[in-house]
Amino acid sequence: MTPTRSLASRILLSRTVWIGLSVVLLASTLPLYVSGYILGLLTMAYYFGVFSMAWDLLFGFAGEVNFGPSFLIGLGAYTAGILDNLYQPSIWLCLFGGAFASVAGGVVLALPALRVRGPYFGLTTLVAVLILQNFVIVAAGLTGGEIGLTVPDVISVDAGVNYWIALGFMAASGAVLYALSRSPVGLILQASGQDAVQAGALGFNVTKHKLAAFVISAFFSGLAGALLVFYLGAASVGTFVDVTVGVQVIIAAVLGGRRTILGAALGAVFLIAAGEALRPLGDLSTFIVSAMALVVVLLFPSGLLGLLTRARETT
Amino acid sequence: MIAAAHLEVKGLTKGFGGLVAVNDVGFTVKSGEILGLIGPNGSGKSTVMKLIMGIERPDAGSVRIEGVEVAGWPSHRIARLGVGMVFQHSRPLHRQTVLENIVLGLLPDRLMRLLPDPEIEARARAIAERVGLSGVIDRRPATLPFADLRKMELAKAIARDPRVLLVDEPFAGLTASETMQFSELIKAFRDDGCAVLLVDHNVKSVAALVDRVFAMYVGECIAEGTAAEVMRDETVRRVYLGGSIETAARPESSFGDRMPFLQVENVSVHYGKAQALENVSLHVHQGEFVSVVGLNGAGKTTLFNAISGMLPYSGDIRRQGRPLRGLTPAAIARGGIVQCPESRELFGDMTVRENLDLGGQHATAEESRERMAWLFELFPVLKARQNQTAGTLSGGEQQMLTIARALMMRPDLLILDEPTLGLAPVILEQLSKALERLRQTTTITVLLGEQNVTFALPHADRVYVLEHARIVWAGDPSRFAAEAGTGYL
Amino acid sequence: MLIWQILIDGFAVSALYALGATGFTLIFGVSGVLNLSHGALMVAAVVAAWVAGGEWGVSSHLGAIFGVLVGFVMSLLTYFAVVRPLQQSSKIREEEKEIFILTATLLWGIMISELIAYLYTNNAKTVLPIVEGVVMLAGVRTPANEVFTSVICWLVIGLLWLLVNRTRAGKAVLAASMNPRGVTLLGVELSWIYVGVWAVYGMLVGIAGVLLGMFLGVSSYSVGPLTASAFSIVVLGGLGSVSGSLIAAYVVGYLETMTAYLVSPAYRTIPALLLLVIVMYVRPRGLLGRR
Repeated sequence: MTPTRSLASRILLSRTVWIGLSVVLLASTLPLYVSGYILGLLTMAYYFGVFSMAWDLLFGFAGEVNFGPSFLIGLGAYTAGILDNLYQPSIWLCLFGGAFASVAGGVVLALPALRVRGPYFGLTTLVAVLILQNFVIVAAGLTGGEIGLTVPDVISVDAGVNYWIALGFMAASGAVLYALSRSPVGLILQASGQDAVQAGALGFNVTKHKLAAFVISAFFSGLAGALLVFYLGAASVGTFVDVTVGVQVIIAAVLGGRRTILGAALGAVFLIAAGEALRPLGDLSTFIVSAMALVVVLLFPSGLLGLLTRARETT
Repeated sequence: MIAAAHLEVKGLTKGFGGLVAVNDVGFTVKSGEILGLIGPNGSGKSTVMKLIMGIERPDAGSVRIEGVEVAGWPSHRIARLGVGMVFQHSRPLHRQTVLENIVLGLLPDRLMRLLPDPEIEARARAIAERVGLSGVIDRRPATLPFADLRKMELAKAIARDPRVLLVDEPFAGLTASETMQFSELIKAFRDDGCAVLLVDHNVKSVAALVDRVFAMYVGECIAEGTAAEVMRDETVRRVYLGGSIETAARPESSFGDRMPFLQVENVSVHYGKAQALENVSLHVHQGEFVSVVGLNGAGKTTLFNAISGMLPYSGDIRRQGRPLRGLTPAAIARGGIVQCPESRELFGDMTVRENLDLGGQHATAEESRERMAWLFELFPVLKARQNQTAGTLSGGEQQMLTIARALMMRPDLLILDEPTLGLAPVILEQLSKALERLRQTTTITVLLGEQNVTFALPHADRVYVLEHARIVWAGDPSRFAAEAGTGYL
Repeated sequence: MLIWQILIDGFAVSALYALGATGFTLIFGVSGVLNLSHGALMVAAVVAAWVAGGEWGVSSHLGAIFGVLVGFVMSLLTYFAVVRPLQQSSKIREEEKEIFILTATLLWGIMISELIAYLYTNNAKTVLPIVEGVVMLAGVRTPANEVFTSVICWLVIGLLWLLVNRTRAGKAVLAASMNPRGVTLLGVELSWIYVGVWAVYGMLVGIAGVLLGMFLGVSSYSVGPLTASAFSIVVLGGLGSVSGSLIAAYVVGYLETMTAYLVSPAYRTIPALLLLVIVMYVRPRGLLGRR
């Protein structure tokens, strides 16, 4: 075999691609034999998976600790919801508007990131969330304030269709983000995140690549947020903007395994599944899920996917 | 017409805060030439390299690459103009293979490059072949021996076919045969018409390789010429060796203790793949002044940090026969083995007096006051500056404060790691006098690590020479110049 | 009249903020840890005082002391169970420890607040004031407990200042915040300093929590906003700078009080946040930040 394998053969040979594809295929059959309730949960989980994957691109690859994923998510969700509420254009236009607003927010967020280092950037992102949260509450006429925003349109009322849309969207986003992380640009991004000085000396414009990472991360976060609004038919601070939403996104990514993209989706599904499995415990379920996540963070810092791949490497 | 020099530096100046790190430095490196930029620690040579690469912005001066003025450009633009840099410490991509790490150096700086280019991979393989990495191309950096990691850094730096190559401390941590290999690689670039700038501490280590040498000291040029000329240069000799050295060693038998105060036996330390100390053994008697002489990177700091309990080691370190292993660094310090590290570690926002007070905090207030009065006598300048914050002191004053703060702890053994680092000759003399007084008026035991032989020998009762992580010579300071002195230029 | 009202109320609120943020910044300054379970620890102290006073029927003094004690214990527990294992972990790269500590303390905070909600519901809890009655200050009817709160806050801050600047242990803590390696070389165990700082932090959190509980109702919903306000104040003042935090606490406290009185209570937190954003863009180190 020649040392330079063709692109097609690489894709065909990649185990991750095959496993991923089979998991998606298997998951797409679920509506045939699973209750609408569980489909609804998984639909949520899939959108959260996209949030987490987009976050992992920024943290795991560009090395930027973004504590405010819900800033980008919220911008996308509320922009789409407000557009629909005010003008009722086609849903496509709303989705596009949401993604666009989120990208604009990502650029704004990137400005301090490229100037300040260390904990300060993390703080800026958190502050961004608080500001958005306050704005939503204050501009109640536009956003519905604390009560929330109801959108007149939904994509579909059928649980199965919504499920398939979410699954398809997650699979597509995952494929794009994963491919990106493995592409030459992903390599440059990792180098910039790890040692920006050296990346510069190797001839890479670190600012440009990091800005691109912000834009891509924001695009997927915003689009997922907008889609989720049309699935839920409503937007509220508690589901989209609150710091705790962002925390869940981060926990899912850390739990699944940083720097893996796909691990983030796994973590999100796991979190929601665990929350559901523990539902009989009532109010204690969040406590137990957090405790489990804390145990993983403390004892298995490479996360679920890290555990799986390490097990494979050692055997 | 004469071809423009590949790299031309003129009037380069850079200050950090009030400190001038590089002052009006200028030199040229022609195509097919290797220039050695040498100077002791703190001389500004690394800053010069960063200024050329655009990692730091010069305050004044010009840097021309084949006639193009690049001073003030961001480093990625300078890199694309044809400058490559081999970093001494680098963080390779851990999750990628060696091949992918080299591929990184070949990638165009474009966002739309989403598909791997088979041509790039072929070129990466060719580069790996050239630097001798073919055998390990599919391994991850963490599994590589240290010399291969250095080769990988070289491979990344040359991926873009630079016309100017900057190499930071090319041979640090390499064995003799690895050094040979690496030298051959660098020579090959010169023969291809590349302009090479080697940055190192000593002339000797690069003498065999360089065409010319440019020597720096406290930010300025002190000599320029062939390696032989620079080694003969008076100023260089004074900076590295000082003038004639008078030694005043007391014979080892005069220290009447049956068991040495400090015993280091077969101590080895590894940093990942690199061996920082290899079976080092030495001892220090009560009241003795022992110097460990070694070039930068020889392992002095590692040795002292092992004694102070700051890193894991194999072998034994004993104080008065009792092993130190298992004690925390702070417990070792409280026990009387106190280190003044080369980084000084002062409390910059606190006054001189507060720094000293902290050194005396294990003593009663009364004792602490007495000791401070005695130290103010030993270092009068500290008395005058006692209410000034440590961060605003000059380098020499900071060094005195570091020693004085350590002496506040009433150490049984004082470890001094490179106290002369970056200090001007006048200050060295003052420091030297203070040490001499200390040696004559007290019974203190000192273990001194130095690359400045002038400073290390006069006070020493015995000398050890540390080279490439091993003790290669031990004996009386008066025999040092004849038996081991040649390597310290 | 209104201006006096704002001055007096703002002073008390600011004093509370200052106390809460001082502990937060102390921990960061010395050990580089941003403790995101801060709000949860405060709420735990409030709920403890409330349980002691309401359910066990002890006096308001005893209840307050019990609340402080719980804040203290929880703080040490946070350090030993969550922060220290991560700091000493060999499995996590140094440069990633920050995100791990932040994530872990966040999770820990969620656990505390969920447990509180489970055991004692989400209803707002108020701690019985230690001092009853009303005093007239510049013609403004002011609850005596508000005066008491300001006094205690400043007393504690003053004590802390004395502790740090006038005692050997305090000096060692200050030195450790500038240069941890330096104090190790002088024979001071960093682990003692860390434990000591977390203990002091626990006291501060407990006191700030209990006083807050006398001031207004606190529930597990307050966890996020409390952490966020401490966070913003500390960032505004400059991470690790105690005097910066004090100034920032007053800036934020008065901005909030003014907005609440002059504009609308709904907009209370917005001006302070906007100020924070401006400071982050113009002077990312904060008002008095060193790094």
